[in-house]
Amino acid sequence: MDERQRFSEAVLPYVDDALSLARWLTGNAADAEDVVQEACLRAFGAIASVQNANARAWLLAIVRNTAFSWMAKNRPKAIMTTDDAGIFEQAGLEMAEPQASPEAILIRKADAAQLENAISALPLAYREVLVLREIEDLSYREISKVLSIPVGTVMSRLARARSSLIQRIGMAGEGKAGAA
Amino acid sequence: MIKPSSWSSREESLILLNAYLDDELDAASALDVERRLAADPALRAERDRIAELRSTLVSHLSAQRASDDFKRRIAGIADPSRDVVVALPSRQSRSYDWRQMAAAAVVAAAITAGGMYGVLRQNSGANEIAAIVADHQRALLAAQPFDIASSDRHTVKPWFDSKIAISPQVVDLAGAGFPLAGGRVEIVDGKPVPVLVYQRRAHVISVVAVPRAGQMTSTAPALQTTKDGYSVIRWFGRDFEYFAVSDVPEPELREFVSRWREATPGS
Repeated sequence: MDERQRFSEAVLPYVDDALSLARWLTGNAADAEDVVQEACLRAFGAIASVQNANARAWLLAIVRNTAFSWMAKNRPKAIMTTDDAGIFEQAGLEMAEPQASPEAILIRKADAAQLENAISALPLAYREVLVLREIEDLSYREISKVLSIPVGTVMSRLARARSSLIQRIGMAGEGKAGAA
Repeated sequence: MIKPSSWSSREESLILLNAYLDDELDAASALDVERRLAADPALRAERDRIAELRSTLVSHLSAQRASDDFKRRIAGIADPSRDVVVALPSRQSRSYDWRQMAAAAVVAAAITAGGMYGVLRQNSGANEIAAIVADHQRALLAAQPFDIASSDRHTVKPWFDSKIAISPQVVDLAGAGFPLAGGRVEIVDGKPVPVLVYQRRAHVISVVAVPRAGQMTSTAPALQTTKDGYSVIRWFGRDFEYFAVSDVPEPELREFVSRWREATPGS
């Protein structure tokens, strides 16, 4: 199989997925296209190393790494340390009391813009795990490969990301309800 | 500061709950989570929130859709010529073409109106190269990249003469590994111009000869550029300005051009 064939089987079917990930990491569609184009160039350069069985996760890993170097170059302030233990310890993992607020209802009522804002506000280390799980639908093991972190770290970051989203959406919903 | 010992079981419960909802736990751990859920109303409330969050995310966040233009650009990374079009569903290429034509019509209208003429005029070299590369691409998509098939320059040259009353130099470079394949006529800047077609292995090299009356042979180095993945080399001969276009590796196209120029010292 030649390189063009491999590229059309291992990369082209996943351009939409690549774009989604880049869009969530960079925060806008135009930057996402730049990142994905560069990532696909890299992917083509490394096309001999891919097996079709894991092509999608392989491409997403390249997109993720390309997005990080792109952001390091274009907006260095957006990149935070991804020392998991540190972030996790500082942030804590809170669980609201069952009667604290009807957050489940607020979440159900959240609109797309609220969700977007809440996700964009997540630290990058949490956001990427959440996007890989919820939007790209990767397994924990695949996420751990894409991000080169242990599965245990995937688990803790994902739990923290969801908990943080729930809190943000809950607060935004309460703010709305109070203002009304 | 949080006391790790008091938090570890809480964190653990939440982390396992998430994995449970993601269907990532083995049977024994799943049973353990179910046992904790049964005993812990706060954990059940958290389960409801996470489940709600997940279904809300699924219903609200749609995946990005790459535009046809962008898909084409990505496909072009692997192959800037034929395979790109094959890889795309034909419906998409058609809609792309339609928009391209609409955009071209808008540009044409602006030029006719005269408002942008001065701006575009300075860029005519780039426009000409874009047109020449587009012609080359179109020719590759046709059944044959030439209108007359002949490896004999004594057939190709008179054919141009009879067809458009222009006869450019036709050089035989078969000995150097660039056999002549034929000729075709393109429209550049509204005028018919002869195009010589050479072969290099499976690749096609188009040599576009744009008539420039009074143009003297120049020994100036050829100008090289790339457009959409194609190499374009441009140089001046007597009465013609030449453009060689191909997807062969650049050094090979340079070799082709230098051999061509060596073969036509007086023209």
